[in-house]
Amino acid sequence: MRGLIILLIATFIAINSSAQFLNKLKQKAEQKAEKALDKKLGLGQEENKNSGNNQNSSGTNSGNSTSEGGARYGKSNPSNKGGGGLVSAPPDVKQNLDDAEASYKKGTYGEARYSIQQAILGVELEIGNQILKSLPDAVAGLKKDETQDEVSSNGFGWAGLTIQRKYLDNNDKQLTFLIANNAAWMAAVNTYMNMGGMAQQTNGQQNWKQTKFKGNRAIIEYSESSGYKLSVPIGQSSLLIFEGVNFNTEPDFMKAANEIDAEAIKKQLGEQ
Amino acid sequence: MKKYIVIFSILISTVGFSQEFDKSLASARSAYSSKDLSNARFAMTQMLGVLDEAIAKEILRMLPTKMASLDYNVKEDRTTGGSGGYASGLYVNRYYGKDAKTASIEIINNSPLITTINAYLNMPMMGMGDSNQKNIKVQGYKCILKKEMPTDDGKQAYELQIPFNNTLLTLKANDTTEAEITQFANLIPLAKIATVAQ
Repeated sequence: MRGLIILLIATFIAINSSAQFLNKLKQKAEQKAEKALDKKLGLGQEENKNSGNNQNSSGTNSGNSTSEGGARYGKSNPSNKGGGGLVSAPPDVKQNLDDAEASYKKGTYGEARYSIQQAILGVELEIGNQILKSLPDAVAGLKKDETQDEVSSNGFGWAGLTIQRKYLDNNDKQLTFLIANNAAWMAAVNTYMNMGGMAQQTNGQQNWKQTKFKGNRAIIEYSESSGYKLSVPIGQSSLLIFEGVNFNTEPDFMKAANEIDAEAIKKQLGEQ
Repeated sequence: MKKYIVIFSILISTVGFSQEFDKSLASARSAYSSKDLSNARFAMTQMLGVLDEAIAKEILRMLPTKMASLDYNVKEDRTTGGSGGYASGLYVNRYYGKDAKTASIEIINNSPLITTINAYLNMPMMGMGDSNQKNIKVQGYKCILKKEMPTDDGKQAYELQIPFNNTLLTLKANDTTEAEITQFANLIPLAKIATVAQ
């Protein structure tokens, strides 16, 4: 019996070591094949430069050439070192209107629709940029950060224009101002407005309430982590959102928001 | 006679679209030239509505007037260019048959269901476990076939959803079989509709 057990253990060790040997042999063969392939493709030198890092990071998977960020043949894809980015070119409104007219006359309505969507996109981007230009350079002592200005549109008209401006200082105090000309968001805000029962209160600390902003009904919210947020529906389909981080009090935040000329924005958006 | 009435109404509506389009185009150009951007945008959204309506009419003309033995109900044809302000896209609806045995085709552009349907079609795991739903192909297009709850008298209804990019075609049929609804779907010129609706 004892002899049988010893024989079984010896057989197991022999099989295991033979499997390990075969596995190593297989890995060696794969590495050789990859090196030969890289040499043919002219990738050998770069692989040698990177091989140290790759082996360290890939650990036991070093034989698997696709384990590191989609690397192929044991080599990472090159990272982009510049190219100037996309040429900033908003759609040419007049040209797109001409194209739409031509497509419409030909009866290719799908093409005409695409051109109109591009024209709307162009006009909305112009509206957005005009509004950004009209906003004050500073609000409540916070300076505008033009690098974070954003205008986006989906070209469907009245459904997806958003404009963003940030004001900040060097002490983590920040006011983000967002204008959304977006019917879907309006529906959500109007639901809040029309359901007084949706007011929130936690342990006597009210974090949500209805308020007024320059005569418009609005909602103000507070959260310990994100600060103050004021949402003001204006006109038929636009929404102004102010988000204040590190404002001391609600009146401080409201005073800052009041420095924005909501009526002028409403007029620029063509709202009643 | 019915045929002539249809042709006449198509001609009338085409002239109407053209006038509306030209009017909105002139308004858009004039408003844009005078830097009245909000009114330029409004005129353009009106044009989108006109185009959606024209596309919808064109799709209606492509749809079969008969689904096997079921005739279409001309009075119930519906088309809408929905971009008159708050929603964009086209809508086409045609009904077939009478009484319990009916079918309908609905085509919606920019449907909110598109994302979910494409997820079902491209991730088979999502649909697993629902014995009343399966993915099939019609004219090479992947679709979702749903078996509805039978009616009180035991008649079976099916629904077939076919997405093309941002357009969704839904075919519904009552008192039918899986084979018959597939046969109905094969009567619809899907490739042509997909091209026009985009």
